[in-house]
Parts: sequence; C-alpha cells; structure tokens
Amino acid sequence: MSSEVIRVENLSKMYSTREGDFHALDKLSFAIEEGGFVSIVGPSGCGKSTLLQLLTGLLEPTSGQVLIDGIEVRKPLPEKTGVMFQDATLLPWLTAEENVAFPLSLCGKDKKESQLRARDLLKLVGLGDFINHRPAELSGGMRQRVAIARGLVRDPRILLMDEPFAALDEQTRFKMGEELLWIWQETRKTILFITHGLTEAIYLSDTVLVMGTKPGRIIEVIPVDLPRPRTFEMIGSEFFGKARNRIWTLIQEETEA
Amino acid sequence: MSKPSLIRYAILLALIALWFLVTAMEWVKPIQLPPPAGLWAAWQADGSRFLDAFALTAAEIAVAILIAWPLGIGIGAVFGSLRAVSEAASAILGSLFAVPAIILYPLFIAWVGMGPESKVLFGVIAGFFPIALNTLSGVRQVDQSYVTMGRAMGASRLQVFYRVVLRLALPSVISGLRIGTALIMISVVVSEMLASFGGLGYMIAYHRTMFDTGHVYLGILMALLTVLTVNWLLSMLESHFSKWQERGAEL
Amino acid sequence: MRLSVLLGAQAGFFVLLAIVWESISRLELVDPRLLPSFLTVLGVLGDLLTQRDFLMDLGITGLEVGVAFIIAAPLGVSIGFLLGEKLFLGQILSPMFHFMLSVPQSIFLPIFMLLLGIGFLEKVVFGVTHAIFVIIVTTTAAVRSVPRDYVTVARTFGATPRQIYLRVYLPAMLPVVMTGLRLGMIFNIIGVLLAEMDASRAGIGRRLFSWGEGFQLDLLLAGILLVSALTIIINEVMRYCEHRAARGHVA
Ligand SMILES: Nc1ncnc2c1ncn2[C@@H]1O[C@H](COP(=O)(O)OP(=O)(O)O)[C@@H](O)[C@H]1O
Ligand SMILES: [Mg+2]
Repeated sequence: MSSEVIRVENLSKMYSTREGDFHALDKLSFAIEEGGFVSIVGPSGCGKSTLLQLLTGLLEPTSGQVLIDGIEVRKPLPEKTGVMFQDATLLPWLTAEENVAFPLSLCGKDKKESQLRARDLLKLVGLGDFINHRPAELSGGMRQRVAIARGLVRDPRILLMDEPFAALDEQTRFKMGEELLWIWQETRKTILFITHGLTEAIYLSDTVLVMGTKPGRIIEVIPVDLPRPRTFEMIGSEFFGKARNRIWTLIQEETEA
Repeated sequence: MSKPSLIRYAILLALIALWFLVTAMEWVKPIQLPPPAGLWAAWQADGSRFLDAFALTAAEIAVAILIAWPLGIGIGAVFGSLRAVSEAASAILGSLFAVPAIILYPLFIAWVGMGPESKVLFGVIAGFFPIALNTLSGVRQVDQSYVTMGRAMGASRLQVFYRVVLRLALPSVISGLRIGTALIMISVVVSEMLASFGGLGYMIAYHRTMFDTGHVYLGILMALLTVLTVNWLLSMLESHFSKWQERGAEL
Repeated sequence: MRLSVLLGAQAGFFVLLAIVWESISRLELVDPRLLPSFLTVLGVLGDLLTQRDFLMDLGITGLEVGVAFIIAAPLGVSIGFLLGEKLFLGQILSPMFHFMLSVPQSIFLPIFMLLLGIGFLEKVVFGVTHAIFVIIVTTTAAVRSVPRDYVTVARTFGATPRQIYLRVYLPAMLPVVMTGLRLGMIFNIIGVLLAEMDASRAGIGRRLFSWGEGFQLDLLLAGILLVSALTIIINEVMRYCEHRAARGHVA
C-alpha cells in the first residue's frame, strides 16, 4: 500500500562563509513513505533546519537531490508541502481566518471558497470559536494551531515542521503533540517533524532519524515499534526508555566528539 | 480626563492669559508681541491676501509631498531589502541627514530661481531623509522568518515584499512620513521667508520688515495650525496601523 | 571591524559623489556656471580657508553654535532627568515637550527676531530652542529605560543614593543621552545657520546666502562643501562616542 513521497539522495550542502566553505550536510540519504510520521533529532547546529529548507525548496543543494513524488524539488511547492516553523509567523494585522486563507489569496483563489476552507481547518485544529481573533489575542499554542491550519490550507500531502512546539511550555507542548497526532490520523498526511525533544520524537513518530554533526549526516535510524494510538503510559515502558537512552547516548557522543 | 492632562490645559490657559496680561499692561512693546486683538485686526485687514498666500504655500507643499513620499519610501524600501548593503546605506543616509539641508537653499535659488520651484525642491530634500531612513530601518527590522515563511507558502519575491514586508514595516514608514511631512511644510514656509515673491512665508517676512507684528504672528499661527493638523492626521493613521503591534506587546 | 567597514562605505560614497560631480562638469553636461567642477570648487575652498575675514565668519558661527550647545546640553539633560525621575511632574510636562519636538522650531524665527532683535543673542537663543527639546525628551526616555532591577540590586549591596546615581543611572543612561545630544547638536546647527541666512551681518550662513544671491556658485559650493564636511565630522565623532558608551554599557 505504501509508496515513497519524499526521497533524499546523497544530499550535501555547503555554505560559503567569510572563513571559507562550511560543510553543513554531507551525503544524506533517506526516504519517507506515504502517511509516515518521521522525526529528526540531533545536536543543535547539526543542519536540521538546513535540511528542512532544502526539502522545502528554499535552498539549493550543493550536490545530491530531493525528490517529492519522484520529481526534483527546485523551488517551493506549496501545493505539495506545507511548512511550519518554531515561530508561527502569523501576519499580525490579519484575523486567524485571514491568516489561514493567506496562501490561497497568494495564488488568486476565490475569496468565499477560501474563507470556508479556512474555517473548516480552524475547526479541525480546535479554533472554531476564534476565527475572527488576531494573533495578538491568541496564546502561543493557539497561534501554532493557526499555523498548522495554514500549513494545511492548500491540501498538501506533506507537512514539514521545524521545531514547531519548541517555544511552548511543557504542558501545551504535550497537548499540541496529541493534537498533531489526531490531525495526522484525520488527514493522512506525511509528516517530517524536527525537534530536540527526545520524548516528543519517540512518542509521535514511526521512525526517528538521529543526526550527527560536523558535517551533518544521519547516524542512526530508530524504528519506533509502539502500537497506535499512543498513550501516555507508553512513555514509561521499557522500549521507550531504551530508545530514549540510545538516542541520548548517540547525541552525547556527537557533541563530545 | 486625567489629572496631568487637566493641569496641561490649565497651563495652556494660563499662558494665553499671560499673553493678554502682558500686552494689556504693555510690559512688552506691541511691535515685539501684539495683543491677541492684533491678530484679529490683521485678519480683518488682509484676510483674503493671507488665504491667497496660504493657497500658494499649500500647493507647493502638496507638490513636494507628491515627490518626496514615493521617492523616500521607494529608496528606503529598496535599500532596506537589499540585506548586503542596507546597513551601509543607512549609515550614508544618516550622515547626509546630519548635513543641514538649509545650506542647499541658496544653491536651489541660483539653479531654479526664486519662484515656487526652489521651495518645492528644498521641501523635497528636507522631507526625503527621514522618510527614507524610517522606511529603510522598518524594512530592515522585519523578521527574516516572515520572508522565509512567505517564500515557503509559494509567494513570489514581489508578493513577499508587497504583502508581507512592506506591510510589517508600515508603522515605521508612517512615522517617517509624519516627521518628513512636518519638515516639508515648515521648510516650504521658511524658504518663502528667506527669499520669494509669495506664500505664507513671504507674508510673514514682508510684514516683519514693516513691523506689522499682528500679521507676523497671524502668519506663523496659520503655518503652525497647518502643521499640527497634518501631524495629527498622520499620527491617527500611524496608531491605526500599529494597533496590532501594541496589543502584541502587551502579551 | 564592523565600524570600519561602514566608515569605508561612507567614504566610498562621498568619493563616488565627487567623481560623478567632476565627470558631469568635465563632460559639460550642465552649464559650468551653474555647476563648476569639483576640483575647481576644491581650489576655491583652499583659497577661502586662507582668508582672514572668511575664517572670522566661520569662527562666529562656531561660537554661536558652541555657546548654544553649552547652554542647551546641561539644561536639557537636567530638565530631562528631573522629568524622568519626578514622576508626576514628568506626567504633566513630558507630553508638552514631546509636542514641541514635533513642531519644527524654524517657524518661530521671526518671533525671536522681533523679541530679541537681530544679533548674537538671537542666534544663540534660536540654536538653544532647536537643540533643547530633543535633549530633554531623550534624557527622560533614558532615565525611564534604566531597569528597576539595577537599582534594586545596587540597593541590596548597600549603595548610597549618590552611588546609585553615579554608578548605576549615569552609565546605564549614557548611550541614549548621547544620541539626544548628537541630535540636539544637528538641530542647533540648523537653527544657527537658518538665523544667519535670514538676517545677519556675519557668519557662514550669511556668506552662503549672499554668494547664492550673487550667483557666485564656485564660492557657494565651496561653502556648502565645507559646512557639509564639518557637520558630517561632528555627527560621526559624536556617533563614535555614542558607540563607545553603548559598548561600555554592554560590557
Ligand atoms: N546561511 C548560512 N550561512 C552560513 N552558515 C550557515 C547558514 N545557515 C546555517 N549555517 C550553519 O550551518 C549549521 C547548521 O545550521 P542549522 O541547519 O540551522 O542547524 P540546526 O537547525 O540543526 O540547529 C550551523 O553551524 C550554522 O551555523
Ligand atoms: Mg534549527
């Protein structure tokens, strides 16, 4: 039943800086299957955000390629990939509904239709009562929900998320994870989720990719063989603990090296 | 009304009362400070000439605004969004702003004459720098993550610029317009005072040499009220467009 | 490092400007009577700087600017400090000073001429009124920006009020106050030059104006060049001090 939607082949990225070339990513290869939930963890500065920008088409690879649905990515493909960052970057003068509809207005979609679509998505993320609120009137968690809805508005098959919940407090963060899993199940999207929370990564994903640094590369692929739906109790299970220790050790070794 | 602002109005009233008192008692000479009635007398004597002069000045100001606004916003926006040069551009504009524009006015007279052209030119130069500088820094301060997000959503560079960056910089742009426009208006009047054949500034300067003090103060009052009205309108606009910012800051 | 790059960019810009100017005259794109070449003007400037009476004029303007600043700076900083500290007084008066700042002072020149006559005193007072409001407003802002925590921490260490002022307030406020002083200086120069241009028997402003009237564009441009260079240097030096103060602040 499953087919690959994202394929990364020998992906390398060099940044040219004043002090010379900086090797940010070195020959990354991996694939993500349709409907998968994959997390990426790694020490900070290892190139996670760089990888995400390459997947989005915001950056060009130095060598290697990113394929989405078998086609090489050269520029942003908003109809295929929705993106979310740590900062919700909602436009402060627009209401929640207008923010969600913003990507549609960029490509000249019918206004009425866009409005209805935005409303449906805000209901999906639990903000049905807040469609006319502006970002300043929403909490941090609510803003990220609006950002999720905006990421989904063009109905992409893939959602790329770069530490989307990193700025939230622990409780909100956990709730947002639950919410995301629910949305994932409802919409059957493929999700690539970057985080530095190990528990979060394991709890949410089918697979965790662990990255090493200098240069950035994938050092281990950890499958999470826990049944769905995930429950809070699983966090205390032996498998969970072992996986977390393994990732912890890997990252420790990387940062010490 | 709050207590401090009540006191402020009281101070204002006291100053006006002092004006009445000082002139009534002739503590200063009438050719230095006219009694309030002197302004009224000037208006009754030459009201229509003042209105004609005002019309000319207003026209010069309008033309200067029509040139300086787009020029300042345009150059500020372009250099603000070119990340590689925006800091240097801001430093250059900043040091040019330190040069008193007034020293160029004799040059403008020599170049384009004593007519309205030199006033417009001087007004444009005076208003351009604050508008360009504010636009530049407003655009430069826009968080890059908005640009990244806009691009990721499939917006073209032009769309990102118009619909996101410029809009985020708007409060700063308008505050530049407020400062710049006040400077344009006053610069036009002042340049008329220095050398011209007409306009509000001409009326003020001419009557000063004739020691018609009532006329002088009336002219200054008219110029002042114009500046204050426009300033007030622009600050309303500014607070309208930065409402969302203030509320954001409260959280 | 960063600073030197910026200085380089500024210097580069002015060199470019000079080259463009020189080429325009060399290629005779405009009438050389309207725009004498850069090198010609530079030569004229060299001559001017050896002339006694020109240097006298420069000295008078310098004196007016200097005296005005020596009055405005301590007065403005003290008033600003008082308004920042004594909260109720500040609530009443601060908006009034803000308001005064939004009105370009130049428009009041005829009033100063009427009240004070034409001369040294009038120029100095006019310079002071140009400078003082921005100094007051920024100093008040500086006082209010000193984090309360600094003061609390100093108190817990047993600092005396005097120590708190000298060791906590002053260094924390310094960078912002210096910005105010720099802007005050720029406005001050504008005020003095304007007053000289409008009516006076001496000073560089008077010179510029009469060269303009007499179509002596080589002399006029030489004067403009000199005043521009001087104001840019004053501005940059004060900005450098500001920079130093701000760095000391962070450290
Ligand atoms: N535009 C750039 N130019 C030069 N170096 C960069 C650039 N962007 C990121 N880097 C460097 O590349 C490395 C990886 O950055 P990033 O992808 O943001 O890491 P992460 O998201 O894992 O923390 C870092 O060392 C960073 O300093
Ligand atoms: Mg990152």
